[in-house]
Amino acid sequence: MSTGEHGKLNRRALLLGAVFLAGGAAALTRFARQSSASADSGPVFSPDQFALLEQVADTMIPASDTPGALDAGVPEFLREMLANWGSRESHAQVLAVLDGIEKQAWSRFGAAFLALPGERRLEVMRNVDADALARQDPGYGKFKWLLLVGYYQSEVGATQELRYELVPGAWRACLPLAEVGRASAV
Amino acid sequence: MDFDAIVVGSGISGGWVAKELCERGLKTLIIERGRHVEHKADYQDFATPWEVPNRGCVPEDERARDYAIQSTCHAFNSASKQWWVRDSEHPYSTPADRPFSWIRGYHLGGRSITWGRQTYRMSDHDFGANQRDGHGVDWPIRYADLSPWYDRVERFAGVSGSTEGLEQLPDGQFLPPLDLNCLERAFKQQTEIDHPTRRVTIGRCAHLTEPTPEHIALGRGPCQLRSVCERGCGYGAYFSSLSATLPAAKKTGNLTIVTDAIVERLDYDHAKRRVSAVRVIDAKTGEHRSYQARVVFLCASTIGTTQILLQSRSEYFPNGLANRSDALGRHLMDHVVGIGARGTHPGFLDRYYYGRRPTGIYLPRYVNVAQQDGDFVRGFAFQGYSWRSSWWRGAGEVGLGLELKQRLRNPGKWELLLVGFAEMLPRADNRVSLDEKRKDRWGLPLVHIDCTHGENERRLVERANRDAAAMLAAAGFENIESNGPMKPPGHCVHEMGTARMGRDPATSVLNRYNQAHDVGNLFVTDGSCMTSSGTANPSLTYMALSARAANHAADLLESGEI
Repeated sequence: MSTGEHGKLNRRALLLGAVFLAGGAAALTRFARQSSASADSGPVFSPDQFALLEQVADTMIPASDTPGALDAGVPEFLREMLANWGSRESHAQVLAVLDGIEKQAWSRFGAAFLALPGERRLEVMRNVDADALARQDPGYGKFKWLLLVGYYQSEVGATQELRYELVPGAWRACLPLAEVGRASAV
Repeated sequence: MDFDAIVVGSGISGGWVAKELCERGLKTLIIERGRHVEHKADYQDFATPWEVPNRGCVPEDERARDYAIQSTCHAFNSASKQWWVRDSEHPYSTPADRPFSWIRGYHLGGRSITWGRQTYRMSDHDFGANQRDGHGVDWPIRYADLSPWYDRVERFAGVSGSTEGLEQLPDGQFLPPLDLNCLERAFKQQTEIDHPTRRVTIGRCAHLTEPTPEHIALGRGPCQLRSVCERGCGYGAYFSSLSATLPAAKKTGNLTIVTDAIVERLDYDHAKRRVSAVRVIDAKTGEHRSYQARVVFLCASTIGTTQILLQSRSEYFPNGLANRSDALGRHLMDHVVGIGARGTHPGFLDRYYYGRRPTGIYLPRYVNVAQQDGDFVRGFAFQGYSWRSSWWRGAGEVGLGLELKQRLRNPGKWELLLVGFAEMLPRADNRVSLDEKRKDRWGLPLVHIDCTHGENERRLVERANRDAAAMLAAAGFENIESNGPMKPPGHCVHEMGTARMGRDPATSVLNRYNQAHDVGNLFVTDGSCMTSSGTANPSLTYMALSARAANHAADLLESGEI
């Protein structure tokens, strides 16, 4: 291997080390928030829709002993994916899912999703989730998949919630799960 | 003469031919139709999941517009997209009701960057098959002819595998094997108890598990178990033209490479019965020019080589160069895929693995080996692997919030997949021809591909599907599902057979050394030379045939015979 690649790896390791020394996940989160704050929510989501998306993502994957969807920048990720990846159909599907969640909030509790306390948001989302998956609704499937990709393939999700090594360096074919710990992110 | 030798194409076959010719002291020119690629520097293999564009997803509109066929390849993603042509820029035609997937990339190294790296020898069950059952013409060689060349290419390429002592899957020169995981071991044990003629082994693959000094001298290092191989490997840990054969050829000082040069035709000198020049179009400027050499190797991939020969018509060869037999373009084969089965296993929940192994398991052909075994000829092999699902299962499962997080922290149930690879018979009407009405942007006729699966393939598939499901059930699997439906031909990316080797110039294009029967200084060593498809992944055989043909050509040049 050329020294250039070693250099690249080392720079990445140093950068990660610096971030963790400066306050670990909190520093990463601040960085993510700052970098997204300057971008406008663009044509993909209106400010209201984006605010709803943030709370839906937080309900789907909340912070616990590990960071959650907001810490991992999942709403910003969805915005970027719809801008850079999604077809017109995918845009419509994601907006329809958000719309459906808002409608469910009004019909069940007579209030906007954002106005509901946490446990009621969870109840609304549980209903939407069970119903849509029972119907095998492709739009909801795509929406939930995007949230999960956004979280579990982010640095926070892959390395703190799950396990990820850029260079495993070895194959251990059969060992106790307890020795590995958590599921592999890839 | 500009060069001693010209090699058209820089993929697995072209790289091998160039290396062998250069090492024999011949000034060699590689003509590659695609762009230059810098080994290591042009790969995205050090990007983490969160650094890869759109987390690996190619934009939906772009995928549909530009990569409708290429994106069906499992290795296509946003970090490997550069290794596939845009279908929108490189069209070909098929009959409306008979699709064929022509999956390919135009760049230095060709598909040696994206290949599946599975490396298996063919045996005399394969080389003798046509003669035995009467489909196609007899191979002009047997295993003994190729065995020393398999040895040679395996040592240089670096092949990891386990010695099994099977007559239908000859052993080779192996680097240490990678281990089977817990569930694969259990599946192996049960299957081999139930079926003494079946064997489950680790997939033989062109990965350096323990590099030799020869590998290290070329700048190659050991496999790091990352499984981002389709992006290109900065460690040079798997075999590709860029990691192995081209660097070796360059070391001799005899290699010249021209990229962005599309071969338009070969000129034929009838008085000398030789190719006299290779005419190219500059892909960027449209400029026409030509190169001359004492010997010419076509290694432009099966369909690419066939296209060049069909375009090289002359007064003496009105149906395409070296095509007195009318075999050129016919007998197109692939391996049939979209078969086999998968299932989940309820056990081993406290077991897991570490690292990302770049190969799976292999279950060599067992039907029609020791005895006739069913209402079909030939056979199939299975590849497969076992894993525990991760977060991605969450999208399809009910649940969210803290419960979802907690559930997805643990790996899911074990799963095992068996993918069948069935042999395809050589049939004359499975054919590559030129579409005389439509031209590409360089004014060359489009390729027309007309290829279907036949009754024997359907019977093989039915048997493979039944056997796969039965083996999974016997080993305690649940939720067993078929992998079907059968994919269109071409999907396996093992297309071959359209300029076949044979004993008789009246029925084949190439002789036993991959030399055109009718044109002494013309050799073809890509998949188009294949007389039958066998069940093994063919790349290792292309390597061995290429090395053997190159050394034969060098002998003939030395003796003055060509």
